[in-house]
Amino acid sequence: MIDFTLSPELTLLQSTARELARDRLAAVERRLEADRDVGDELRRLFDEVGLARVELPEALGGAELGALARAVVLEELGAGDPGAALALDPLGPAAYVVQELGGSEALTALAKPILAEPGARALLVHDHRPRFHESGGTVQGQFPWVPADRVDLLVVLEMERAYVVREGIHLEPVRGAGLRAAGASELRLDGAPIVESWVSTPATLQAHARGRLYVASLLVGVLRRAYEYSRDYALERVAFGRPIAHHQSLAFLIADMATAVDGCRMLVHEAAWRLDQGDPAVEACAGAFVECCEQAMFVTPNALQLLGGHGFMLDHPVEKFMRDARALTLLLGGVDAAREESGRDLGERDGPVALTLGESSWT
Amino acid sequence: MDLRPDDATRERLAQARTLGRELIRPVGLEADRLGRPTPPDHPFFEQLVRLGLGRTRWTGEPPKKRAAVVGNARGMLCVAEELSYWDRGVAVSFPGPGLGEPPLLSMGTDEQRERFLTPFRGSDRPRWGSFAMTEPGAGSDVAGIRASARRDGDTWILDGDKSFAANASRADWIVVWVTVDASLGREGHRAFVVEQGTPGLGGFHVERKMGLKAYESTSFTLRECRVPAANLIGGEEHYARRAGFKGAMQSFNATRPTIAAMAVGIGRSALDEAAAFAREAGVLRDVRVRDRLERVRRRLRVARLLCWRAAWLADHRQPNVMEASMSKAFAPTAAFEAASLGMELLGMEGGRGDHLIEKLFRDVKAMDIVEGTGQIQRLLMARKLVGLPRDPA
Ligand SMILES: Cc1cc2nc3c(=O)[nH]c(=O)nc-3n(C[C@H](O)[C@H](O)[C@H](O)COP(=O)(O)OP(=O)(O)OC[C@H]3O[C@@H](n4cnc5c(N)ncnc54)[C@H](O)[C@@H]3O)c2cc1C
Repeated sequence: MIDFTLSPELTLLQSTARELARDRLAAVERRLEADRDVGDELRRLFDEVGLARVELPEALGGAELGALARAVVLEELGAGDPGAALALDPLGPAAYVVQELGGSEALTALAKPILAEPGARALLVHDHRPRFHESGGTVQGQFPWVPADRVDLLVVLEMERAYVVREGIHLEPVRGAGLRAAGASELRLDGAPIVESWVSTPATLQAHARGRLYVASLLVGVLRRAYEYSRDYALERVAFGRPIAHHQSLAFLIADMATAVDGCRMLVHEAAWRLDQGDPAVEACAGAFVECCEQAMFVTPNALQLLGGHGFMLDHPVEKFMRDARALTLLLGGVDAAREESGRDLGERDGPVALTLGESSWT
Repeated sequence: MDLRPDDATRERLAQARTLGRELIRPVGLEADRLGRPTPPDHPFFEQLVRLGLGRTRWTGEPPKKRAAVVGNARGMLCVAEELSYWDRGVAVSFPGPGLGEPPLLSMGTDEQRERFLTPFRGSDRPRWGSFAMTEPGAGSDVAGIRASARRDGDTWILDGDKSFAANASRADWIVVWVTVDASLGREGHRAFVVEQGTPGLGGFHVERKMGLKAYESTSFTLRECRVPAANLIGGEEHYARRAGFKGAMQSFNATRPTIAAMAVGIGRSALDEAAAFAREAGVLRDVRVRDRLERVRRRLRVARLLCWRAAWLADHRQPNVMEASMSKAFAPTAAFEAASLGMELLGMEGGRGDHLIEKLFRDVKAMDIVEGTGQIQRLLMARKLVGLPRDPA
């Protein structure tokens, strides 16, 4: 029966992640942003706790707790600092691609060296327009921005295939619109040899879906933090004789922001739950991503608005929430490509539209 | 976490679907075409009663110790969504104690439940109950009701005007909210069961509505209407404990997510019709069309999850004011978007005024008004979230 209870295991994981994100990420977010790196100490700490491994197979020291657990953790880290969250996850969504297309053995083989070396990162890139071309087993091309200053393993996801390169990766630092704690570079491939390559449309769709859910989960965290921060400010700030939160137009705005955050989280959790049920959830993951992107551009600019001119200044983090959110929405092909995926089945179906997994068999 | 209705609920959904397709939808279209509520002697209602519908939830036992039982708000909400998919107006016209039931269950005495709900346990004939809070001068601002009650020996004398009460003219009894002292605000509120035929209860006027025509929204008057003291819900002691207003609001609390779910049902209906029309018109794969259908489905999905969460909390006796209001603030606008998009896709076909989507477009708007408008939901949420004062300076 319909039940939203998180298991005790997940609740514990959530509070662990929440505390770490608050005390070790959010508390120093401006420094992380300026350093463009999380530093060895944080990396060690997060590695010990194992938050980046909740979903990984046991062979890689993972806990195999599933997609919902991952979503729960990523929300917390996103609320801390989404750039740092990326930097503290050596494999990130690149693991999904290797796992879905290459299988567990490929994942173990490619991921082991990354996990063994502190600071090493695997990076997944995908854009809605092709950025690279291949000739004779090597790749050329340029990717305008990746949230990284170091890439040890590059996984390129295309529509029907994916491949991996390890050498010939050149990074040129750029300023970065957001997510700076993860670094920010232009990436160039100069005759980079392909070390692994797989072709499978269903598997790329599946990997892409999981990647989108990953980013969406981070977005939920950013949105929640932006909402909470601006709500608290609105309770302190006085204008026209009362806290600005007690002017009805802002009180209602705050209520709508809270609803937006909850709605995003519910779609993310639902998509994750579907994945954990063995459903491909391609459309649900894309839908969750789109919802998070749309609401990101409702919640974060309004969070800034609630602070007025102060929100525009770097003394408060709300301008960063807005930039980080916008940057996240650009990843993995962006919003329109996800909208395409989220609506694809609508163009093909005949008969009632289902909202929930298995609905067509209910009646 | 589990995001599936259980087997028992799915079975009831299947029944609701059959009933919806075969009976509810046609009766709703008929009422809309004729521009009148389905009359109480319509064979449809007899049929429902024969199917065992229109009964009370009350089992005849005193309500169980609350904390001990897990409720079934989720199951009821799922069924309400499905019935509204076929026709929300018809669903409200169903025989049964209606919104009058929750106050009797939560505040009433055993004797009152026995008297007023027992007839709803059988199936002799269609019977209705009704609930009247709203007045011409007070809707959202419930504390502003002016209908009055004054005690006179063993009876109370009720005076005032009530508006828009569902099924009131056909009801066996109406739960009427009045005040014993308007200056006391909510603390002065009392709920009475006023039985049909009581002298002084009259002036029934069935309102003409934009949509949801299948059920009657009725205004009526109370003129020196004498009601036995035994009809004061919960008896004097209940109000001595100053629980009067809370009683009414508690019943709203349980119904808000259900109203929201009904909106989801209407929205889903509009989405299905819109998609079917677009397919036939050959524009379903048009990116501009599909993107908007995608958004509508996504928002309805959010709405349904918000409803489910609020009901799940209610089932576990967890506070759900925030979640209930969230669902009620969100779902009607999502459903409106579905119906409105449907109209755009229909284009000139929609302009004719005889397409199901056009009806849904008229029906759906009420969902953002009944049981607390969208603004009132935001008010309730803001009180929780930022402590918005009740009476801004
Ligand atoms: C189809 C239908 C069926 C109904 N059935 C019943 C029934 O069975 N029984 C019953 O008792 N009632 C019923 N009602 C009445 C319904 O509950 C009221 O219409 C509703 O509560 C709104 O009250 P009102 O119409 O007086 O609007 P008002 O309260 O006058 O509101 C007008 C506008 O002002 C806004 N507003 C009011 N106060 C505030 C505030 N503090 N801040 C911001 N905005 C505010 C409202 O949101 C609304 O937009 C029904 C109504 C309809 C349409």
